[in-house]
Amino acid sequence: MERGAEDGPQASQNDGERIDPYGFERRDDFEPYKEMMNEYVAVLNRRSKRWSKLLQDKPNVEKNLTVKRYVRKGVPNEHRAKIWMAASGAQEHLESKPGYYQSLLEMEHDAKLRETIHTDMHRTFPDNILFKSRAEEGLQKALYNVLLAYGHHNQTVGYCQGMNFIAGYLMIITKDEEKSFWLMDALLGRILPDYYSPDMLGLKTDQEVLGELVKTKAPAVGQLMAQYPGIWTLVVSRWFICLYIDILPIETVLRVWDCLFYEGSKVLFRVALTLVLRHQVEILRARSLPDVCECFKQITCGAFTLDCHAFMQKIFTEPGSLSMATIDKLREKCRQQILEEESQRR
Amino acid sequence: MSRKKAARGKAATSSPSAGSPAGKRAARSSPGIVQMNGVVHPSRPSISNSSEFYDIAFKVMLVGDSGVGKTCLLVRFKDGAFLAGSFISTVGIDFRNKVLNIDGVKVKLQIWDTAGQERFRSVTHAYYRDANALLLLYDVTNKSSFDNIQAWLTEIHEYAQQDVVLMLLGNKADATHDRVVKREEGEKLAKEFGVPFMETSARSGLNVELAFTAVAKELKHRSTKDPSEKFKLQEYVNKEVKGVGCCRS
Repeated sequence: MERGAEDGPQASQNDGERIDPYGFERRDDFEPYKEMMNEYVAVLNRRSKRWSKLLQDKPNVEKNLTVKRYVRKGVPNEHRAKIWMAASGAQEHLESKPGYYQSLLEMEHDAKLRETIHTDMHRTFPDNILFKSRAEEGLQKALYNVLLAYGHHNQTVGYCQGMNFIAGYLMIITKDEEKSFWLMDALLGRILPDYYSPDMLGLKTDQEVLGELVKTKAPAVGQLMAQYPGIWTLVVSRWFICLYIDILPIETVLRVWDCLFYEGSKVLFRVALTLVLRHQVEILRARSLPDVCECFKQITCGAFTLDCHAFMQKIFTEPGSLSMATIDKLREKCRQQILEEESQRR
Repeated sequence: MSRKKAARGKAATSSPSAGSPAGKRAARSSPGIVQMNGVVHPSRPSISNSSEFYDIAFKVMLVGDSGVGKTCLLVRFKDGAFLAGSFISTVGIDFRNKVLNIDGVKVKLQIWDTAGQERFRSVTHAYYRDANALLLLYDVTNKSSFDNIQAWLTEIHEYAQQDVVLMLLGNKADATHDRVVKREEGEKLAKEFGVPFMETSARSGLNVELAFTAVAKELKHRSTKDPSEKFKLQEYVNKEVKGVGCCRS
Protein backbone atom coordinates (compact mmCIF):
# COMPACT_ATOMS: atom_id res chain seq x y z
CA MET A 1 0.00 0.00 0.00
CA GLU A 2 3.02 2.25 0.40
CA ARG A 3 3.40 4.48 -2.55
CA GLY A 4 5.15 7.65 -3.46
CA ALA A 5 3.31 10.86 -4.07
CA GLU A 6 4.43 10.91 -7.65
CA ASP A 7 3.22 7.49 -8.59
CA GLY A 8 -0.42 7.45 -7.66
CA PRO A 9 -2.10 4.23 -6.64
CA GLN A 10 -0.50 1.16 -8.08
CA ALA A 11 -2.35 -2.02 -8.71
CA SER A 12 -0.65 -5.36 -8.38
CA GLN A 13 -1.12 -8.41 -10.48
CA ASN A 14 1.01 -11.10 -8.89
CA ASP A 15 0.45 -14.73 -9.63
CA GLY A 16 -2.64 -13.98 -11.63
CA GLU A 17 -4.18 -12.17 -8.68
CA ARG A 18 -5.91 -8.99 -9.54
CA ILE A 19 -5.81 -6.80 -6.51
CA ASP A 20 -6.32 -3.06 -6.36
CA PRO A 21 -4.19 -0.77 -4.18
CA TYR A 22 -6.77 -0.95 -1.42
CA GLY A 23 -6.55 -4.74 -1.15
CA PHE A 24 -9.71 -5.65 -3.06
CA GLU A 25 -9.60 -8.63 -5.36
CA ARG A 26 -11.03 -7.56 -8.68
CA ARG A 27 -11.57 -10.77 -10.54
CA ASP A 28 -14.08 -9.42 -13.00
CA ASP A 29 -13.26 -5.79 -13.61
CA PHE A 30 -9.52 -5.45 -13.22
CA GLU A 31 -9.00 -4.43 -16.84
CA PRO A 32 -11.42 -1.48 -16.98
CA TYR A 33 -10.14 -0.40 -13.56
CA LYS A 34 -6.53 -0.50 -14.72
CA GLU A 35 -7.38 1.38 -17.89
CA MET A 36 -9.15 4.09 -15.93
CA MET A 37 -6.25 4.36 -13.49
CA ASN A 38 -3.75 4.70 -16.33
CA GLU A 39 -5.57 7.84 -17.43
CA TYR A 40 -6.31 9.06 -13.93
CA VAL A 41 -2.69 8.86 -12.80
CA ALA A 42 -1.85 12.10 -14.63
CA VAL A 43 -4.61 13.90 -12.73
CA LEU A 44 -3.41 12.36 -9.47
CA ASN A 45 0.16 13.46 -10.03
CA ARG A 46 -0.92 16.99 -10.83
CA ARG A 47 -3.21 17.19 -7.80
CA SER A 48 -0.54 15.65 -5.63
CA LYS A 49 1.97 18.37 -6.52
CA ARG A 50 -0.58 21.11 -5.96
CA TRP A 51 -1.60 19.69 -2.60
CA SER A 52 2.00 19.27 -1.47
CA LYS A 53 2.65 22.90 -2.26
CA LEU A 54 -0.53 24.05 -0.55
CA LEU A 55 0.28 22.09 2.58
CA GLN A 56 3.85 23.34 2.55
CA ASP A 57 2.66 26.93 2.57
CA LYS A 58 -0.12 26.29 5.07
CA PRO A 59 0.35 23.10 7.06
CA ASN A 60 -2.90 23.64 8.91
CA VAL A 61 -5.82 22.97 6.62
CA GLU A 62 -8.12 25.95 6.65
CA LYS A 63 -11.59 26.10 5.25
CA ASN A 64 -11.65 28.49 2.35
CA LEU A 65 -12.63 28.58 -1.30
CA THR A 66 -9.25 27.38 -2.53
CA VAL A 67 -9.25 24.34 -0.27
CA LYS A 68 -12.87 23.63 -1.17
CA ARG A 69 -11.94 23.65 -4.86
CA TYR A 70 -8.93 21.46 -4.15
CA VAL A 71 -11.09 18.99 -2.23
CA ARG A 72 -13.63 18.80 -5.05
CA LYS A 73 -10.81 18.01 -7.46
CA GLY A 74 -9.73 15.17 -5.22
CA VAL A 75 -7.47 14.66 -2.23
CA PRO A 76 -4.41 12.56 -3.06
CA ASN A 77 -4.33 9.33 -1.12
CA GLU A 78 -1.18 10.23 0.77
CA HIS A 79 -2.92 13.30 2.24
CA ARG A 80 -6.36 11.80 2.61
CA ALA A 81 -6.24 10.84 6.28
CA LYS A 82 -4.83 14.22 7.24
CA ILE A 83 -7.35 16.22 5.22
CA TRP A 84 -10.32 14.16 6.38
CA MET A 85 -9.19 14.51 9.99
CA ALA A 86 -8.70 18.26 9.69
CA ALA A 87 -11.77 19.11 7.61
CA SER A 88 -14.18 17.09 9.72
CA GLY A 89 -12.91 18.32 13.07
CA ALA A 90 -11.88 14.78 13.99
CA GLN A 91 -8.29 15.88 14.61
CA GLU A 92 -9.43 18.47 17.10
CA HIS A 93 -11.51 15.93 18.99
CA LEU A 94 -8.68 13.42 19.00
CA GLU A 95 -6.30 15.97 20.44
CA SER A 96 -8.75 17.21 23.05
CA LYS A 97 -9.35 13.71 24.39
CA PRO A 98 -6.05 11.89 24.51
CA GLY A 99 -6.36 8.31 25.70
CA TYR A 100 -10.13 8.30 25.31
CA TYR A 101 -10.16 5.74 22.51
CA GLN A 102 -7.90 3.42 24.48
CA SER A 103 -10.12 3.76 27.54
CA LEU A 104 -13.12 2.67 25.48
CA LEU A 105 -11.26 -0.45 24.49
CA GLU A 106 -10.25 -1.22 28.05
CA MET A 107 -13.65 -0.78 29.66
CA GLU A 108 -16.02 -3.66 30.26
CA HIS A 109 -17.93 -4.36 27.10
CA ASP A 110 -21.57 -5.08 26.48
CA ALA A 111 -21.84 -8.76 25.53
CA LYS A 112 -24.70 -8.29 23.09
CA LEU A 113 -22.93 -5.49 21.25
CA ARG A 114 -19.81 -7.61 21.06
CA GLU A 115 -21.72 -10.48 19.55
CA THR A 116 -23.59 -8.29 17.05
CA ILE A 117 -20.34 -6.81 15.77
CA HIS A 118 -18.70 -10.22 15.75
CA THR A 119 -21.46 -11.60 13.48
CA ASP A 120 -20.41 -9.16 10.77
CA MET A 121 -16.65 -9.57 11.04
CA HIS A 122 -16.26 -12.31 8.46
CA ARG A 123 -18.93 -10.62 6.35
CA THR A 124 -17.07 -7.35 5.91
CA PHE A 125 -15.03 -7.23 2.71
CA PRO A 126 -14.34 -10.97 2.39
CA ASP A 127 -12.90 -10.09 -1.02
CA ASN A 128 -10.24 -7.83 0.46
CA ILE A 129 -6.90 -9.39 1.33
CA LEU A 130 -6.47 -7.00 4.26
CA PHE A 131 -9.67 -8.25 5.89
CA LYS A 132 -9.19 -11.97 5.52
CA SER A 133 -8.96 -13.30 9.02
CA ARG A 134 -5.77 -15.20 8.22
CA ALA A 135 -3.97 -12.17 6.86
CA GLU A 136 -0.89 -11.54 8.98
CA GLU A 137 -1.25 -7.82 9.38
CA GLY A 138 -4.96 -8.01 8.83
CA LEU A 139 -7.33 -5.20 9.61
CA GLN A 140 -10.13 -7.37 10.97
CA LYS A 141 -9.11 -6.97 14.61
CA ALA A 142 -8.69 -3.22 14.15
CA LEU A 143 -12.11 -3.04 12.51
CA TYR A 144 -13.63 -4.90 15.45
CA ASN A 145 -11.95 -2.56 17.93
CA VAL A 146 -13.12 0.60 16.17
CA LEU A 147 -16.72 -0.63 16.03
CA LEU A 148 -16.69 -1.84 19.62
CA ALA A 149 -15.24 1.44 20.85
CA TYR A 150 -17.72 3.45 18.82
CA GLY A 151 -20.65 1.40 20.08
CA HIS A 152 -19.70 2.25 23.66
CA HIS A 153 -18.95 5.86 22.83
CA ASN A 154 -22.32 6.39 21.17
CA GLN A 155 -24.68 4.07 22.99
CA THR A 156 -27.78 5.39 21.25
CA VAL A 157 -26.47 4.06 17.97
CA GLY A 158 -24.43 1.15 19.28
CA TYR A 159 -23.81 -0.84 16.14
CA CYS A 160 -25.78 -0.71 12.91
CA GLN A 161 -25.01 -2.82 9.87
CA GLY A 162 -23.33 -0.65 7.27
CA MET A 163 -21.04 0.87 9.90
CA ASN A 164 -18.79 -2.15 9.39
CA PHE A 165 -18.17 -1.14 5.79
CA ILE A 166 -17.60 2.51 6.71
CA ALA A 167 -15.13 1.68 9.48
CA GLY A 168 -13.46 -0.74 7.06
CA TYR A 169 -12.86 1.99 4.47
CA LEU A 170 -11.60 4.33 7.18
CA MET A 171 -9.10 1.69 8.30
CA ILE A 172 -7.98 1.11 4.72
CA ILE A 173 -7.26 4.82 4.31
CA THR A 174 -5.92 5.83 7.73
CA LYS A 175 -4.36 2.51 8.81
CA ASP A 176 -4.98 3.84 12.30
CA GLU A 177 -7.68 2.71 14.74
CA GLU A 178 -7.86 5.93 16.73
CA LYS A 179 -8.13 8.12 13.65
CA SER A 180 -10.79 5.82 12.19
CA PHE A 181 -12.70 6.05 15.44
CA TRP A 182 -12.70 9.85 15.45
CA LEU A 183 -13.66 9.96 11.78
CA MET A 184 -16.60 7.68 12.59
CA ASP A 185 -17.47 10.10 15.34
CA ALA A 186 -17.34 13.01 12.90
CA LEU A 187 -19.50 11.22 10.35
CA LEU A 188 -22.15 9.82 12.66
CA GLY A 189 -22.07 12.57 15.26
CA ARG A 190 -21.89 15.70 13.10
CA ILE A 191 -21.86 15.18 9.35
CA LEU A 192 -24.69 12.72 8.72
CA PRO A 193 -28.28 12.82 9.95
CA ASP A 194 -29.29 9.97 12.28
CA TYR A 195 -29.04 7.20 9.70
CA TYR A 196 -27.90 4.52 12.14
CA SER A 197 -29.96 5.07 15.29
CA PRO A 198 -32.54 2.39 16.13
CA ASP A 199 -35.47 4.20 14.49
CA MET A 200 -33.35 5.13 11.43
CA LEU A 201 -35.36 8.32 11.13
CA GLY A 202 -32.58 10.22 9.38
CA LEU A 203 -32.35 7.52 6.74
CA LYS A 204 -36.09 7.38 6.15
CA THR A 205 -36.09 11.17 5.94
CA ASP A 206 -33.27 11.44 3.42
CA GLN A 207 -34.86 8.79 1.21
CA GLU A 208 -37.98 10.95 1.02
CA VAL A 209 -35.93 14.13 0.59
CA LEU A 210 -34.29 12.55 -2.44
CA GLY A 211 -37.77 11.69 -3.72
CA GLU A 212 -38.78 15.34 -3.38
CA LEU A 213 -35.63 16.56 -5.12
CA VAL A 214 -36.20 14.13 -7.98
CA LYS A 215 -39.77 15.43 -8.35
CA THR A 216 -38.33 18.89 -8.93
CA LYS A 217 -35.27 18.06 -10.97
CA ALA A 218 -36.54 15.07 -12.97
CA PRO A 219 -40.35 15.31 -12.86
CA ALA A 220 -40.97 12.35 -15.17
CA VAL A 221 -38.92 10.06 -12.95
CA GLY A 222 -40.68 11.53 -9.93
CA GLN A 223 -44.03 10.61 -11.50
CA LEU A 224 -42.90 7.07 -12.23
CA MET A 225 -41.62 6.56 -8.71
CA ALA A 226 -44.85 7.94 -7.25
CA GLN A 227 -46.63 4.86 -8.63
CA TYR A 228 -44.72 2.66 -6.21
CA PRO A 229 -45.10 3.74 -2.60
CA GLY A 230 -42.07 2.97 -0.49
CA ILE A 231 -39.84 2.43 -3.48
CA TRP A 232 -37.16 4.90 -2.45
CA THR A 233 -36.30 2.65 0.48
CA LEU A 234 -35.76 -0.25 -1.89
CA VAL A 235 -33.56 1.58 -4.31
CA VAL A 236 -31.50 3.95 -2.20
CA SER A 237 -31.38 2.84 1.45
CA ARG A 238 -28.09 1.06 0.81
CA TRP A 239 -26.69 4.08 -1.03
CA PHE A 240 -27.11 6.24 2.03
CA ILE A 241 -26.40 3.67 4.77
CA CYS A 242 -23.15 2.54 3.15
CA LEU A 243 -22.23 6.02 1.89
CA TYR A 244 -21.94 4.48 -1.60
CA ILE A 245 -19.51 1.71 -0.56
CA ASP A 246 -20.00 -1.25 -2.87
CA ILE A 247 -22.43 0.86 -4.87
CA LEU A 248 -19.85 2.97 -6.69
CA PRO A 249 -16.25 2.01 -7.53
CA ILE A 250 -13.84 2.61 -4.67
CA GLU A 251 -11.95 5.51 -6.26
CA THR A 252 -15.25 7.27 -6.84
CA VAL A 253 -16.44 6.59 -3.29
CA LEU A 254 -13.25 8.08 -1.88
CA ARG A 255 -13.69 11.18 -4.00
CA VAL A 256 -17.26 11.52 -2.75
CA TRP A 257 -16.02 11.12 0.81
CA ASP A 258 -13.45 13.90 0.30
CA CYS A 259 -16.40 16.24 -0.20
CA LEU A 260 -18.48 14.55 2.50
CA PHE A 261 -15.85 15.29 5.14
CA TYR A 262 -15.27 18.80 3.90
CA GLU A 263 -18.73 19.99 2.83
CA GLY A 264 -21.17 17.71 4.58
CA SER A 265 -23.98 15.32 3.72
CA LYS A 266 -25.40 17.34 0.83
CA VAL A 267 -22.97 15.65 -1.52
CA LEU A 268 -24.83 12.36 -1.01
CA PHE A 269 -27.87 13.92 -2.72
CA ARG A 270 -25.72 15.33 -5.50
CA VAL A 271 -24.43 11.86 -6.28
CA ALA A 272 -27.90 10.29 -6.24
CA LEU A 273 -29.40 13.08 -8.35
CA THR A 274 -26.62 12.86 -10.90
CA LEU A 275 -27.16 9.11 -11.27
CA VAL A 276 -30.91 9.60 -11.71
CA LEU A 277 -30.68 12.58 -14.07
CA ARG A 278 -28.08 10.90 -16.21
CA HIS A 279 -30.19 7.74 -16.61
CA GLN A 280 -33.70 9.16 -16.92
CA VAL A 281 -34.33 7.37 -20.22
CA GLU A 282 -33.42 3.98 -18.79
CA ILE A 283 -35.41 4.53 -15.61
CA LEU A 284 -38.48 5.66 -17.52
CA ARG A 285 -38.48 2.43 -19.49
CA ALA A 286 -39.20 0.47 -16.32
CA ARG A 287 -42.67 -1.00 -16.27
CA SER A 288 -42.81 -2.58 -12.84
CA LEU A 289 -41.33 -2.24 -9.40
CA PRO A 290 -38.74 -4.99 -10.01
CA ASP A 291 -37.76 -3.23 -13.25
CA VAL A 292 -37.17 -0.01 -11.37
CA CYS A 293 -35.14 -1.77 -8.69
CA GLU A 294 -32.99 -3.51 -11.27
CA CYS A 295 -32.49 -0.29 -13.17
CA PHE A 296 -31.29 1.51 -10.05
CA LYS A 297 -28.69 -1.22 -9.62
CA GLN A 298 -27.50 -0.90 -13.19
CA ILE A 299 -27.13 2.87 -13.20
CA THR A 300 -24.37 2.73 -10.59
CA CYS A 301 -22.20 0.55 -12.82
CA GLY A 302 -20.14 1.18 -15.88
CA ALA A 303 -17.81 3.79 -17.27
CA PHE A 304 -19.87 6.76 -16.07
CA THR A 305 -19.20 6.07 -12.39
CA LEU A 306 -15.80 4.41 -12.87
CA ASP A 307 -14.27 7.55 -14.32
CA CYS A 308 -14.23 9.25 -10.93
CA HIS A 309 -12.73 12.56 -12.01
CA ALA A 310 -15.36 13.22 -14.68
CA PHE A 311 -18.09 11.89 -12.41
CA MET A 312 -17.15 14.32 -9.64
CA GLN A 313 -17.30 17.23 -12.08
CA LYS A 314 -20.76 16.06 -13.14
CA ILE A 315 -22.17 15.93 -9.62
CA PHE A 316 -21.46 19.62 -9.17
CA THR A 317 -22.98 20.64 -12.50
CA GLU A 318 -25.74 18.23 -13.58
CA PRO A 319 -28.13 18.57 -10.63
CA GLY A 320 -27.83 22.38 -10.76
CA SER A 321 -28.09 24.48 -7.65
CA LEU A 322 -28.83 22.70 -4.43
CA SER A 323 -28.78 24.93 -1.41
CA MET A 324 -28.39 23.70 2.12
CA ALA A 325 -31.46 25.78 2.98
CA THR A 326 -33.52 23.72 0.53
CA ILE A 327 -32.20 20.47 1.98
CA ASP A 328 -32.85 21.61 5.55
CA LYS A 329 -36.40 22.62 4.68
CA LEU A 330 -37.13 19.35 2.91
CA ARG A 331 -35.59 17.35 5.73
CA GLU A 332 -37.81 19.09 8.24
CA LYS A 333 -40.91 18.58 6.11
CA CYS A 334 -40.24 14.90 5.38
CA ARG A 335 -39.28 14.18 8.97
CA GLN A 336 -42.61 15.59 10.18
CA GLN A 337 -44.51 13.55 7.60
CA ILE A 338 -42.78 10.34 8.61
CA LEU A 339 -43.38 10.98 12.31
CA GLU A 340 -47.05 11.66 11.62
CA GLU A 341 -47.44 8.52 9.54
CA GLU A 342 -45.71 6.45 12.17
CA SER A 343 -47.83 7.82 14.99
CA GLN A 344 -51.01 7.13 13.00
CA ARG A 345 -49.96 3.53 12.50
CA ARG A 346 -49.54 2.98 16.22
CA MET B 1 -14.91 -4.57 -2.98
CA SER B 2 -15.09 -6.12 -6.33
CA ARG B 3 -17.66 -4.63 -8.55
CA LYS B 4 -20.18 -7.01 -9.90
CA LYS B 5 -21.13 -5.83 -13.27
CA ALA B 6 -23.95 -7.30 -15.13
CA ALA B 7 -24.66 -6.21 -18.64
CA ARG B 8 -26.77 -3.13 -18.65
CA GLY B 9 -30.33 -4.25 -18.22
CA LYS B 10 -32.48 -4.18 -21.26
CA ALA B 11 -35.80 -2.53 -21.01
CA ALA B 12 -38.07 -5.09 -19.51
CA THR B 13 -41.47 -5.44 -20.94
CA SER B 14 -44.45 -5.33 -18.73
CA SER B 15 -44.29 -8.04 -16.14
CA PRO B 16 -47.12 -8.90 -13.87
CA SER B 17 -46.88 -7.85 -10.29
CA ALA B 18 -46.27 -10.48 -7.70
CA GLY B 19 -49.29 -12.30 -6.47
CA SER B 20 -51.51 -11.77 -9.44
CA PRO B 21 -52.18 -14.61 -11.82
CA ALA B 22 -50.96 -13.33 -15.12
CA GLY B 23 -52.11 -15.69 -17.75
CA LYS B 24 -49.67 -17.06 -20.27
CA ARG B 25 -47.27 -14.41 -21.19
CA ALA B 26 -43.59 -13.88 -21.19
CA ALA B 27 -41.98 -11.90 -18.48
CA ARG B 28 -38.66 -10.57 -19.56
CA SER B 29 -36.12 -9.38 -17.17
CA SER B 30 -32.58 -8.22 -17.28
CA PRO B 31 -29.88 -10.67 -18.18
CA GLY B 32 -26.73 -11.23 -16.26
CA ILE B 33 -26.33 -13.94 -13.71
CA VAL B 34 -23.73 -12.56 -11.42
CA GLN B 35 -21.28 -15.37 -11.08
CA MET B 36 -17.58 -15.09 -11.69
CA ASN B 37 -15.06 -17.86 -11.26
CA GLY B 38 -17.70 -19.84 -9.47
CA VAL B 39 -18.03 -17.10 -6.87
CA VAL B 40 -21.53 -15.91 -6.36
CA HIS B 41 -21.75 -12.35 -5.21
CA PRO B 42 -24.91 -11.89 -3.22
CA SER B 43 -24.48 -8.18 -2.81
CA ARG B 44 -25.54 -7.65 -6.37
CA PRO B 45 -28.23 -10.13 -7.06
CA SER B 46 -29.63 -10.29 -10.51
CA ILE B 47 -33.13 -10.72 -11.62
CA SER B 48 -34.11 -13.96 -13.27
CA ASN B 49 -31.36 -14.84 -15.69
CA SER B 50 -33.29 -15.47 -18.87
CA SER B 51 -36.50 -14.53 -20.53
CA GLU B 52 -38.37 -17.19 -18.69
CA PHE B 53 -42.03 -17.78 -19.15
CA TYR B 54 -44.23 -18.04 -16.15
CA ASP B 55 -47.88 -18.39 -15.34
CA ILE B 56 -48.18 -17.04 -11.86
CA ALA B 57 -45.92 -14.97 -9.65
CA PHE B 58 -45.64 -14.70 -5.90
CA LYS B 59 -43.65 -12.69 -3.43
CA VAL B 60 -41.70 -14.58 -0.79
CA MET B 61 -39.76 -12.91 2.00
CA LEU B 62 -36.84 -14.26 4.00
CA VAL B 63 -36.79 -13.04 7.57
CA GLY B 64 -34.90 -13.87 10.74
CA ASP B 65 -32.04 -12.61 12.89
CA SER B 66 -28.82 -11.26 11.46
CA GLY B 67 -26.40 -13.99 10.44
CA VAL B 68 -28.85 -16.93 10.34
CA GLY B 69 -28.09 -17.47 6.66
CA LYS B 70 -30.92 -15.82 4.73
CA THR B 71 -28.75 -14.65 1.85
CA CYS B 72 -26.86 -17.96 1.74
CA LEU B 73 -30.13 -19.88 1.59
CA LEU B 74 -31.33 -17.70 -1.26
CA VAL B 75 -28.08 -18.00 -3.20
CA ARG B 76 -28.07 -21.78 -2.70
CA PHE B 77 -31.60 -21.98 -4.05
CA LYS B 78 -31.08 -19.54 -6.88
CA ASP B 79 -27.63 -20.53 -8.09
CA GLY B 80 -27.00 -23.88 -6.41
CA ALA B 81 -23.80 -22.61 -4.85
CA PHE B 82 -22.38 -22.12 -1.43
CA LEU B 83 -19.05 -20.51 -0.84
CA ALA B 84 -18.01 -19.91 2.71
CA GLY B 85 -16.43 -16.55 3.26
CA SER B 86 -17.80 -14.82 0.23
CA PHE B 87 -20.91 -13.29 1.71
CA ILE B 88 -21.30 -9.77 2.96
CA SER B 89 -23.92 -8.70 5.46
CA THR B 90 -27.12 -7.61 3.78
CA VAL B 91 -27.91 -3.96 4.29
CA GLY B 92 -31.47 -2.93 3.55
CA ILE B 93 -33.62 -5.08 1.32
CA ASP B 94 -33.16 -6.81 -2.02
CA PHE B 95 -34.72 -9.52 -4.17
CA ARG B 96 -34.10 -12.26 -6.72
CA ASN B 97 -36.45 -14.19 -8.97
CA LYS B 98 -36.65 -17.86 -9.70
CA VAL B 99 -39.16 -19.72 -11.82
CA LEU B 100 -40.18 -23.19 -10.66
CA ASN B 101 -42.14 -25.80 -12.52
CA ILE B 102 -44.89 -26.93 -10.20
CA ASP B 103 -46.96 -29.74 -11.70
CA GLY B 104 -46.69 -28.20 -15.14
CA VAL B 105 -47.36 -24.66 -14.02
CA LYS B 106 -44.54 -22.12 -14.14
CA VAL B 107 -44.47 -20.37 -10.82
CA LYS B 108 -42.25 -17.34 -10.44
CA LEU B 109 -41.05 -16.64 -6.94
CA GLN B 110 -39.85 -13.12 -6.31
CA ILE B 111 -37.75 -13.70 -3.22
CA TRP B 112 -37.00 -10.76 -0.96
CA ASP B 113 -33.92 -10.86 1.21
CA THR B 114 -33.90 -8.54 4.20
CA ALA B 115 -31.34 -7.25 6.67
CA GLY B 116 -31.77 -9.15 9.92
CA GLN B 117 -30.70 -6.50 12.38
CA GLU B 118 -33.60 -5.34 14.50
CA ARG B 119 -33.46 -1.67 13.57
CA PHE B 120 -33.83 -2.46 9.88
CA ARG B 121 -37.24 -3.95 10.59
CA SER B 122 -38.70 -0.47 10.90
CA VAL B 123 -37.56 0.03 7.30
CA THR B 124 -38.50 -3.40 5.93
CA HIS B 125 -41.75 -4.33 7.65
CA ALA B 126 -43.67 -2.10 5.25
CA TYR B 127 -42.93 -4.76 2.64
CA TYR B 128 -44.37 -7.64 4.69
CA ARG B 129 -47.81 -6.50 3.67
CA ASP B 130 -47.40 -7.61 0.06
CA ALA B 131 -45.66 -10.88 0.85
CA ASN B 132 -47.52 -14.05 -0.10
CA ALA B 133 -45.17 -16.21 1.90
CA LEU B 134 -42.60 -15.75 4.63
CA LEU B 135 -39.71 -18.04 5.37
CA LEU B 136 -38.68 -17.42 8.96
CA LEU B 137 -35.16 -18.60 9.71
CA TYR B 138 -33.16 -19.28 12.82
CA ASP B 139 -29.67 -20.70 13.15
CA VAL B 140 -29.42 -24.05 14.97
CA THR B 141 -25.97 -23.01 16.22
CA ASN B 142 -27.25 -19.76 17.71
CA LYS B 143 -29.66 -20.04 20.64
CA SER B 144 -30.68 -16.38 20.67
CA SER B 145 -31.75 -16.53 17.03
CA PHE B 146 -34.11 -19.33 18.10
CA ASP B 147 -35.30 -17.47 21.18
CA ASN B 148 -36.15 -14.50 18.99
CA ILE B 149 -38.55 -16.50 16.81
CA GLN B 150 -41.51 -15.56 19.02
CA ALA B 151 -40.70 -11.88 18.58
CA TRP B 152 -40.49 -12.40 14.84
CA LEU B 153 -43.89 -14.11 14.83
CA THR B 154 -45.39 -11.16 16.70
CA GLU B 155 -43.92 -8.81 14.12
CA ILE B 156 -45.27 -10.97 11.31
CA HIS B 157 -48.75 -11.12 12.79
CA GLU B 158 -48.74 -7.38 13.08
CA TYR B 159 -47.57 -6.51 9.60
CA ALA B 160 -48.13 -9.44 7.24
CA GLN B 161 -51.33 -10.51 5.51
CA GLN B 162 -53.58 -12.74 7.56
CA ASP B 163 -53.36 -15.63 5.11
CA VAL B 164 -49.62 -15.39 4.51
CA VAL B 165 -47.95 -18.76 4.00
CA LEU B 166 -45.45 -19.14 6.78
CA MET B 167 -42.70 -21.67 7.32
CA LEU B 168 -40.12 -22.00 10.06
CA LEU B 169 -36.62 -23.08 9.03
CA GLY B 170 -33.78 -24.16 11.30
CA ASN B 171 -30.75 -23.37 9.14
CA LYS B 172 -27.09 -24.50 9.36
CA ALA B 173 -28.26 -28.03 10.17
CA ASP B 174 -24.97 -29.38 8.78
CA ALA B 175 -23.02 -27.88 11.69
CA THR B 176 -23.39 -30.89 13.97
CA HIS B 177 -20.59 -29.88 16.34
CA ASP B 178 -21.85 -26.36 16.95
CA ARG B 179 -25.52 -27.21 17.18
CA VAL B 180 -27.25 -25.82 20.27
CA VAL B 181 -30.90 -26.05 19.18
CA LYS B 182 -32.22 -29.60 18.80
CA ARG B 183 -34.48 -30.46 15.93
CA GLU B 184 -37.16 -31.46 18.43
CA GLU B 185 -37.13 -27.97 19.91
CA GLY B 186 -37.78 -26.48 16.50
CA GLU B 187 -40.55 -28.97 15.87
CA LYS B 188 -42.14 -28.21 19.21
CA LEU B 189 -42.13 -24.47 18.67
CA ALA B 190 -43.50 -24.85 15.15
CA LYS B 191 -46.31 -27.06 16.43
CA GLU B 192 -47.13 -24.56 19.12
CA PHE B 193 -47.61 -21.85 16.52
CA GLY B 194 -49.08 -24.13 13.89
CA VAL B 195 -46.48 -23.51 11.23
CA PRO B 196 -44.71 -26.08 9.04
CA PHE B 197 -41.10 -26.65 9.98
CA MET B 198 -37.95 -28.18 8.60
CA GLU B 199 -34.24 -27.98 9.10
CA THR B 200 -32.15 -26.70 6.22
CA SER B 201 -28.54 -26.23 5.30
CA ALA B 202 -27.47 -23.68 2.75
CA ARG B 203 -24.02 -25.25 2.94
CA SER B 204 -25.03 -28.81 2.05
CA GLY B 205 -28.24 -27.93 0.25
CA LEU B 206 -30.36 -29.99 2.66
CA ASN B 207 -34.06 -29.22 2.15
CA VAL B 208 -33.35 -25.85 0.52
CA GLU B 209 -35.14 -26.73 -2.69
CA LEU B 210 -37.93 -28.32 -0.69
CA ALA B 211 -38.57 -25.23 1.42
CA PHE B 212 -39.15 -23.06 -1.62
CA THR B 213 -40.96 -25.75 -3.59
CA ALA B 214 -43.35 -26.44 -0.73
CA VAL B 215 -44.20 -22.77 -0.49
CA ALA B 216 -44.63 -22.52 -4.26
CA LYS B 217 -46.94 -25.55 -4.26
CA GLU B 218 -49.08 -24.12 -1.51
CA LEU B 219 -49.34 -20.75 -3.21
CA LYS B 220 -50.11 -22.30 -6.57
CA HIS B 221 -52.70 -24.54 -5.02
CA ARG B 222 -54.40 -21.61 -3.35
CA SER B 223 -54.47 -19.47 -6.45
CA THR B 224 -55.73 -22.10 -8.87
CA LYS B 225 -58.26 -23.50 -6.42
CA ASP B 226 -58.59 -26.62 -8.48
CA PRO B 227 -61.03 -28.80 -6.55
CA SER B 228 -59.56 -31.98 -8.00
CA GLU B 229 -56.26 -31.15 -6.37
CA LYS B 230 -55.69 -31.72 -2.72
CA PHE B 231 -52.61 -30.19 -1.23
CA LYS B 232 -51.68 -30.01 2.40
CA LEU B 233 -48.47 -28.11 3.03
CA GLN B 234 -47.68 -29.77 6.32
CA GLU B 235 -48.23 -33.27 4.94
CA TYR B 236 -46.12 -32.54 1.88
CA VAL B 237 -43.30 -31.24 4.03
CA ASN B 238 -43.48 -34.24 6.37
CA LYS B 239 -43.33 -36.59 3.42
CA GLU B 240 -40.45 -34.91 1.60
CA VAL B 241 -38.27 -33.61 4.40
CA LYS B 242 -34.82 -35.07 4.86
CA GLY B 243 -32.88 -35.41 8.06
CA VAL B 244 -29.29 -34.37 8.65
CA GLY B 245 -26.90 -37.00 7.35
CA CYS B 246 -29.44 -38.26 4.88
CA CYS B 247 -28.70 -38.06 1.19
CA ARG B 248 -27.37 -34.61 0.40
CA SER B 249 -28.79 -32.90 -2.57
